[in-house]
Amino acid sequence: MCAAGSPVDFGQTIMRIASARFGPLDIDPEEVILFPEGIAGFEECRRWIFLADAENDAVAWMQCIDRPQLALAVVSPRRFVAGYQARVARRELAPLELETPHEAHVLVVMSTADGVVTLNLKAPVVINLRRRLGRQVVANGPLPIRFELAGGVATLKKTA
Amino acid sequence: MLVLSRHRDESIIIGNNIVVTIVDIRGDKVRLGIDAPTEIPVHRREVYEAIQRENLRAGSVEPKDPREMAEKDRIKSGK
Repeated sequence: MCAAGSPVDFGQTIMRIASARFGPLDIDPEEVILFPEGIAGFEECRRWIFLADAENDAVAWMQCIDRPQLALAVVSPRRFVAGYQARVARRELAPLELETPHEAHVLVVMSTADGVVTLNLKAPVVINLRRRLGRQVVANGPLPIRFELAGGVATLKKTA
Repeated sequence: MLVLSRHRDESIIIGNNIVVTIVDIRGDKVRLGIDAPTEIPVHRREVYEAIQRENLRAGSVEPKDPREMAEKDRIKSGK
């Protein structure tokens, strides 16, 4: 094992970041997902990695490499919203270079405030794992930006 | 803000690769056609701003990181 931060044999350096939520993280460049335009409000945050939540396997964390203080909780929408379908304009998905729709991994950002948990169903995060590209897209139709999970934090724990 | 008048079917060009065309005008509603590279997101402003606000809210850092706290204090005091 090499020391954290020193170059690895295959010629790529493992990055170390001081994340606010997870502490120091060694990041394999192969794990980095590139969001070429960042996300709304954080356009400089182009490089992200996805980490599992230690306690809840329903939750993952999008950790920003370019801004280590930033991590967003994400969940698979269908786990909490039966029949969730995001209709997204072709234009929105084009930069992801998806070869088939099935390649797309769809996640939604979760917010928690005062025990109330909401999901942003209007602007899901779509990832092409093969190309390691991601984008927060805007889905068509009157989808809520804050879809409240009935039961709040307790519901989250129940489905884990 | 730059203000230009256009009739139906006329266009403006932003930079050298973004073209906005007046597709239709009906009463107080204008339909705009936008030609831009797909790398450039194009959205209704209020939708973009609402998503931006929500991302900021979702990403609000717990007050554990002293540097983030220092930055919050600096912004609050207007320095």
